[in-house]
Amino acid sequence: MNIQDNMWKYLFKIIFLGIVDALSIWSAVILYNDASYLLLIGLIILVGAINIVYLVDKAYPMRYILPGTIFMVIFVVYPIFYTVYISFTNYGTGNILSKDQVVEQLENRYFSPDDAEEFKFNAFKLEDEKKFILLFENKEGERFIGLEQELIPIQNFDKKIIDSDNDDKIEEIANYKRLPKIQLFQNLDYLQELEFQRNDRILRMKNTEYFSSYIRQYKYDEEKDQLISLRTNKIFKPSQNGFFKSEDGEKLTPGFRNNIGWKNYKKLLTDERILNPFLRVFIWTFEWAILSVFLTFSLGLFMAILLNDKNLKFRKIYRIILILPYAIPGFISVLVWRGLFNAEVGAINNLLQFFSIGGIQWMQDPVWAKVALLIVNLWMGFPYMMLIALGSLQSISNNLYEAAAIDGASVWQKFRHITLPLLLVSLGPLLISSFAFNFNNFNVIYLFNEGGPAIPGAQTPAGATDILISYTYRLSFATGRGSDFGLASTVALFIFMITATITWFNFKYTGVLEDVKENE
Amino acid sequence: MRKFIVLTLTFVMLLGLTSFVSASESGKLLIWADENRLEVVTDLAKEFEDDYGVPVKVQEKAFGDIRDSMRVEAPSGEGPDIIVGAHDWLGELVTNGLISPIDLSGMKDNFIKVSLDAFTWGENIYAAPYAIESVGLIYNKDLVPDPPETFEEFTNLVKKHTNKEEEKYGFVMPQPDPFHTYPFMSAMGGYVFGMKNGVYNPSDIGLNNEGAVKGLEKLNSLYAQEYIPYLDYQTMTSLFKSEDAAMMLTGPWEFSNLEKANINYGFTQLPAMEGQSPKPFSSVHGFMMSEFSENKMLAQAFIRNFITREDTMIELYKKGGRPPVYKPAIEFAQNDPQTAGVLKSARQSMPMPSIPEMGAVWSAWEDALEVILNQKQDVKPALDNAVEQIQSSLEESSE
Repeated sequence: MNIQDNMWKYLFKIIFLGIVDALSIWSAVILYNDASYLLLIGLIILVGAINIVYLVDKAYPMRYILPGTIFMVIFVVYPIFYTVYISFTNYGTGNILSKDQVVEQLENRYFSPDDAEEFKFNAFKLEDEKKFILLFENKEGERFIGLEQELIPIQNFDKKIIDSDNDDKIEEIANYKRLPKIQLFQNLDYLQELEFQRNDRILRMKNTEYFSSYIRQYKYDEEKDQLISLRTNKIFKPSQNGFFKSEDGEKLTPGFRNNIGWKNYKKLLTDERILNPFLRVFIWTFEWAILSVFLTFSLGLFMAILLNDKNLKFRKIYRIILILPYAIPGFISVLVWRGLFNAEVGAINNLLQFFSIGGIQWMQDPVWAKVALLIVNLWMGFPYMMLIALGSLQSISNNLYEAAAIDGASVWQKFRHITLPLLLVSLGPLLISSFAFNFNNFNVIYLFNEGGPAIPGAQTPAGATDILISYTYRLSFATGRGSDFGLASTVALFIFMITATITWFNFKYTGVLEDVKENE
Repeated sequence: MRKFIVLTLTFVMLLGLTSFVSASESGKLLIWADENRLEVVTDLAKEFEDDYGVPVKVQEKAFGDIRDSMRVEAPSGEGPDIIVGAHDWLGELVTNGLISPIDLSGMKDNFIKVSLDAFTWGENIYAAPYAIESVGLIYNKDLVPDPPETFEEFTNLVKKHTNKEEEKYGFVMPQPDPFHTYPFMSAMGGYVFGMKNGVYNPSDIGLNNEGAVKGLEKLNSLYAQEYIPYLDYQTMTSLFKSEDAAMMLTGPWEFSNLEKANINYGFTQLPAMEGQSPKPFSSVHGFMMSEFSENKMLAQAFIRNFITREDTMIELYKKGGRPPVYKPAIEFAQNDPQTAGVLKSARQSMPMPSIPEMGAVWSAWEDALEVILNQKQDVKPALDNAVEQIQSSLEESSE
């Protein structure tokens, strides 16, 4: 029984490893053909590791760690390294192609001169082979045979031309048969690449009926690494910024992706336009994250303590109602709140008017906008805090409260010296993660007011409620020319370092990690 | 069992490394179309296949995803041959080198001019346009039987219908929204970028010129006297749908919602300011061709012979609702008074500038509108400041 069991296991293992290996080899061939060598190396290491770990008995313990490690590398480590890599490039609108792709594209650019000749064409094909002869006819009715890049006037062509019914429609040229329209379409991918010489110009396909003369626009000189415009004889050299540029400053589009070194970092640290609002944004980000955590936790805990009281009737109903804000998708509740806070027609100002408090500019006044945002985030965040606090409250032993009661402790003293310290031990890490989450809480900020209100006379568009992440978004995607992924990655790395440091200090000084260790 | 799951996951992951996505292949056409164009294009694809024996695949993509996917997939050789898109993508797609010019020779006269202008970049045209949209005045016929033709008439109507106590408004429009506010600024001569050699010239910004300032001041005086409420798009439409607003400024995309709400509405041009009619931005939609297509001639033949055809254009109009720009199809579409109104407004329009620099323009302009219409700063200094912001952010990026 046992032996059979083992055999089945072994067979299973072999089959699955076999499938994984087979697929890997197949992928490897594709990757090799694509010349994506980095991915190929990664794949080989990965598959090698899988094979060793599942075949070698000594590596047995690794079997439990390996899948997790693979996922961690793919979804955590790789993106971080990729972000670092992007932050050293100019990747963004106008610079997304590789240099080779740009050169290829520019070399394939033609322009049609004003006196371009046009030829109606018919294609003739050798049976079973991708070989073509073209018959051209210009406006004057002159006919030419197009063969191997050359244009030969039909009267000079010495091979057999068949027009069996003499209707002036040639059916066959030197064993090449005339292509009917359907087959012409099926061979278009080949025909569109054909080029013929014609008086220093190139004859290329214009559309499915005509060939036209063109002049090539650029020629690439590989040795000197430069492009020459055949139209103006200007020379374009690749610049650090990822463009082919002439000496008088003309830039060719598209640009290419290029390594620009520390430029993004320099820009971030020295550019006044970016630095000016930075401090203000930075401070508000902290205020926002701290206040959000503090307010949601306070309200959540308060509600949890109320709900935890066994004397309270209809606890379940209250609990359901209080969890509701958490169940509604954030996107919807923020938009609803946005409507409620509308200064002109919103429900909140209407209600306030009833108490004769008039016209608070929720969206337009910097201070009130911040208050409104905190209220919105409080509404969306407290149920989560309430839920986790409810759970932790159950775990606090009743003995402690009884002992406290005997010692004559007041309600506040019980809360201050028993409930809160014990709760914080288990909830500490969650508060820290909540802090990190709100630190980067783009959705609420952006959906509520897009970081607004705007600040009059500001040099850089950064609103009064923009936090670092929404400011990054503005910097990278809403200013300058289109999207700047390089700069965005740089700012993202800075934010990552800030949150990582804060989290690390938090963990260290609250001693949370040590606590986990002790429990092990 | 757990091992089994782990192994299958690894396996799926490995598959992910290689791609199964269909891509532009020699001799086969791949088209990305959005939901509303899908049916028409799929029918055409079948017809093309039957006529020429060339396989055509149509893939559905969400409209906004088409542009983003192009950036990622086209350069890696996995993109389509033809895409459906809007003209304001042009700047990004062209400067990124993702789309290729189309030869429309011999058929240009069949399109209304503004639609071809929208897709023109330098010397080339980059799409066959099929529809145009622009904003105009949508009015409730029960409240406003005769729409205003001059700004003075408009002002009187707004004053007449506005009663703040009862939350009734004569006119609503979304703010801060440069796209919707532009007509008031363009009427007397404001513009975003001037033109140079057929390309927008980022160093010539006309957002703070005399005409723009004067136009915005006129609109702003209605905000200052609290005749027009400062609100966002959703609030605007809900006020109009509940008949609490007599007129609103937006585009034909709201028609179907208004019909659902049973509003007796009309669409007309915005009122003239000092005799000059406002020029709204238009947004033009068209079929474009990928630079990375291996079948450029086939793709072009499909666009020239199958898309640019009266019956296709009419079908696209019927299924998508947007007014056509192909002249033979316009006659059909004009039977609908609403569409006729949109076309009239669209013919006066200027294509929304499509250069990537618009990113900087929108955000600075939006901020300016916000401070102006909330009466925190005067029109002139705020617009000057916006133009400075735009200029500094353009200099920054053009080193």
